[in-house]
Amino acid sequence: MHPLLLTFMIFGIPALIGLLYVFVRGTPSLRRYIVTRVALTIPMVLILASLVFLVLRIIPGDPVTSSLGPKGSPEVKEQMRANLGLNDPIIVQYLSFLGDVVTLDFGDAMTSGQRPVVDELGEKFPATIELIVPAALVALTIGVLFGTFAAVRRKRASDYGFRLFSVVIYSMPVFWLGLLLILVFGVWLGWAPTGGRIDAVINTTLERTTNMLTVDSLISLNWAAFWSALHHLVLPTLTLGLILSGVFLRLTRINVVETNEEDYIAAARARGIKERTVTYKHALKNAMIPVVTLIGLQVAILLGGAVLTETVFNWPGMGRYLVERIGLRDFTAVQSTIVMFAVFVALISLAVDILYSLLDPRVRY
Amino acid sequence: MAVDLDTKDQPPPEEQALQAWERDLEHIGIMGRLMAGRKWHGADWWFVAIAIVMVAGFIFVALFPGLIAPFNPREQVGPRLLAPGETPDQDVLILRVGEPAASLVDFAGDERIPTGVVRGAPASEAVRDQADRITEELNGGGDERRVRLRVARFETLDEVLDALVVGDVALAAASSLEFEAVADRYPDLFVAGPVDSDQGGGQSFLMGTNQLGQDVFSRVIWGTRIALIIGFSASLFSLALGVPLGLLAGFAGGKLDRVLTMIMDSLYAFPGLILAIAIAAVLGPSIFNIIMAIAVLYIPTYYRIVRGQTLSTKEGLFVEAARSLGAKVRVILTRYIFPNVVPSVAIIFSVNIADAILTGAGLSFLGLGLPPTTPDWGIDISRGAPLMNQAWWIITFPGIAVMLLVLAFTLLGEGLMEIFNPKLRDR
Amino acid sequence: MSNDTLYAIKDLSVEYATRQGNVRAVDAVDLDIRRGEILGLVGESGCGKSTLGKALMRMPPGKVVSGELLFDGTDLTKISDKQLRQIRGARIGMVFQDPMTSLNPIQKIVDHLTETIRTHQPKRSEADARLRAEEIVDRLGIRAERIDEYPHQFSGGMRQRIMISLALALRGDLVIADEPTTALDVIVEAQFLDLLRDLKNELGVTIVLITHNIGVVAEIADRVAVMYAGKLVELASVHDLFDSTKHPYSKGLLRSVPNIDLDGTDLYKMSGAPPNLLALPSGCSFHPRCPEVMDICSKVEPPFAPVEADGNHATACWLYQEQSVSVELRS
Repeated sequence: MHPLLLTFMIFGIPALIGLLYVFVRGTPSLRRYIVTRVALTIPMVLILASLVFLVLRIIPGDPVTSSLGPKGSPEVKEQMRANLGLNDPIIVQYLSFLGDVVTLDFGDAMTSGQRPVVDELGEKFPATIELIVPAALVALTIGVLFGTFAAVRRKRASDYGFRLFSVVIYSMPVFWLGLLLILVFGVWLGWAPTGGRIDAVINTTLERTTNMLTVDSLISLNWAAFWSALHHLVLPTLTLGLILSGVFLRLTRINVVETNEEDYIAAARARGIKERTVTYKHALKNAMIPVVTLIGLQVAILLGGAVLTETVFNWPGMGRYLVERIGLRDFTAVQSTIVMFAVFVALISLAVDILYSLLDPRVRY
Repeated sequence: MAVDLDTKDQPPPEEQALQAWERDLEHIGIMGRLMAGRKWHGADWWFVAIAIVMVAGFIFVALFPGLIAPFNPREQVGPRLLAPGETPDQDVLILRVGEPAASLVDFAGDERIPTGVVRGAPASEAVRDQADRITEELNGGGDERRVRLRVARFETLDEVLDALVVGDVALAAASSLEFEAVADRYPDLFVAGPVDSDQGGGQSFLMGTNQLGQDVFSRVIWGTRIALIIGFSASLFSLALGVPLGLLAGFAGGKLDRVLTMIMDSLYAFPGLILAIAIAAVLGPSIFNIIMAIAVLYIPTYYRIVRGQTLSTKEGLFVEAARSLGAKVRVILTRYIFPNVVPSVAIIFSVNIADAILTGAGLSFLGLGLPPTTPDWGIDISRGAPLMNQAWWIITFPGIAVMLLVLAFTLLGEGLMEIFNPKLRDR
Repeated sequence: MSNDTLYAIKDLSVEYATRQGNVRAVDAVDLDIRRGEILGLVGESGCGKSTLGKALMRMPPGKVVSGELLFDGTDLTKISDKQLRQIRGARIGMVFQDPMTSLNPIQKIVDHLTETIRTHQPKRSEADARLRAEEIVDRLGIRAERIDEYPHQFSGGMRQRIMISLALALRGDLVIADEPTTALDVIVEAQFLDLLRDLKNELGVTIVLITHNIGVVAEIADRVAVMYAGKLVELASVHDLFDSTKHPYSKGLLRSVPNIDLDGTDLYKMSGAPPNLLALPSGCSFHPRCPEVMDICSKVEPPFAPVEADGNHATACWLYQEQSVSVELRS
């Protein structure tokens, strides 16, 4: 089965089940909200895809010439142009583009063997997922934990310490941090591998299904592969996760500080509820609601950071693929990859909004 | 300020003038307010103060890089891959004090110059190679002279130097470090310069040199200019487009608002770097294109904030505005919206510059946008990465520079936000 | 301390920090709260009554800088945080001004209650606590089946009832109500006041009612304390306060209430404005605005002392203290 489909299923099916559950058990207002929100995803994807189209085709520059360079003869170039439909009027191009997006017909890569882009993405997309998910978890854990700490100890030494940490770490370019970590932990200390997803030798023993190596190795009970994949995951995940934790720390801190000012928090203290309970159960839970919506937007930063991290760590994911294809002027692949990113972002945004509606009962009832 | 109509107990006019002046000072009292602010806001005040100092410093460096950078960032000024503070071991020309010559070129002519070297030392080959090279250059330029050496080989450096002192040879070529070790014994001899004049003066470099022999420190200094240009310009463009759009959408409302907001929300959610990569790749390498690509990313941020504030202000004042003369609406809105919007926009601007610099560095790291010879931090880091095992300094210092500059602007924005936020202010 | 004094406040001063410096919101207040009474605490905005109310539970932002808070024999200024927590919510409860924001929007009403109950009585089971919650909620006029709902599903008046039920969920000796009806409309306010009266009569709850509304105080209070610029200026039974008002400020306050018999005479307005707590007038803080001001008022602060032999009516005004103190001055 196509790995792309598999990946979507692994995340998509539980999400769908959850969605159906909420839909069935929710109130009419919640159902209305879900339907509206799902419907809104379509224009969002369309807008983004159209933007991609706009950027890549209307802006001057002949993609065929830039990809083939001086090598191609005029006849070959003409043929390519015809194939890509570049001679058709813009409207026709736009409509056929939209049609392709809907049917997921991504065409063939313009160089390197003209492999169907879908296959390439099928390999690369799960790799990116395997990097992003743990990174996001690391960032969230560090960020929320320390953010709450800082908020509670507001205006005291540790608050400023945490805030300084979050600002400093966010100010580091992610690729630089990655390189430094490779230098220190990979080269000088030798504790972690300096690149790639898995040891080359062990790789030959691993059977790929979803193309997420940790998952695949667990499925086939290949423990050597599992540990190797995990080992290779450490540095890239840490790089991406640390940088993002700065953002989450600031976000959490501000929201908890604001929530702490609310009357019901003072009222809870007036009832003798323990300080720790007030902070974590009352303040944090309420503060998390706006943070959740903002997390959805942080996915954008996450993906951007993933591009750079994949480049530095030689991680064969969608980000590095994009950069590579741009360098080769592979117009078809670039277009399709960006659309893929857009779809992904739209789906995450949808998931976050629905999650938000679940957390805040004011929306539900 | 109440007007005191009862003039019975007023002090004499001069004192009045003095008192008025003091009162005014207290009213305008920036210093007074600053000092009070420092005590009240505590460390946040320091954050902002330090940030302002840092930003000012960086701007100064960006405006006058020539004043601070000791070398031209694009020229080779020393040996390749020299570590920070390391004095290179070069092959140098040693001459007698008083000799007018400065380098091998000065020995061009028809005669063979007696030259002393240590047998088998690299300097002997270096000096011969350089002589040939100079001869080629001269002849290629139409100059008929040649640099011809009669090489005399000695067993030890001391013998070479003794011969030079006495006059048996006109010049000597040896390792600079070796000469340093014995230089005290030969007060009549001095180092004229490196054999290969491209290699620079044999000094050490604060941050070392990169693989092309360029001074890393100078490149870092000059890189500030590029980074700040990109950061400022991109943010300014974003502001120029986002703020008016936000005002328009908030004020006009209706369909225009809905459509614009939907576009902006989609844009806002999309990974910025990827969009910037796409735009930069399509537009082609140039600093203007990079600025445009980054500017597009932040328009939604300004748009949202300005639109939100316009909406809430509009709600509040609308009733009042409806009651007063129609023409006054615009005036009221300009006078009321602006003070509300300006602090938020200022904070976003500051944070935006920080983000723009990071994105710019990312783009140039990936090789998009700037010509490869530009002294830019991102380019330096990407070029230094393959060599980082041997030369850790090539990537470290530019990276620290990025971090500090971005830190300065982020601290500024963060601190200002903590100080301006009304909800958080008085607790 | 007599047995029917629940809470003896002695020489209490409370300060809090502002941008311009430390503000003494409560200055040397002596007050005894008697068991089972409804004590009204009135004054203009900024007079310190809210800060005093919060200080009774040692709630922020005020900090007690001197004095004693003897609640049923225990000095709250000297006990540990843990002991303080045990008193808060169990023996002293607070009802806040804004019912819209005083309840946790993501927590069900029943959970508010059971959480409070089980915090103070951890041995109680969840089911047991729930029973108690239903009981108290019912007592306060809320249908028991509604306790599984969220705060936003209730009206303002109902939410205030929920707040009281929270304050009384445990033993509830004392309830401090800080401007509880300010955000309610008149009819709901009347119902609320009836409820307070019932609580006092049936359960013997002691209530401190903080308000700027004299009418409310006239309705249900037993005794009234008047505050001005952080100081207590008059303390009397509600009857005595209205019939034989002593302090000029109290007189002004009472005259300011719009009278339904207005016959074209202007509304009474006290001259001047409440003072800046950072720059109080010398002597008696009210002297710049006092229609009966005397020479001594701007020089020496009047002590808060009883005006009659029975000690039930006290005031801080030179009009009533002249005799004893001018003797002191001369010596």
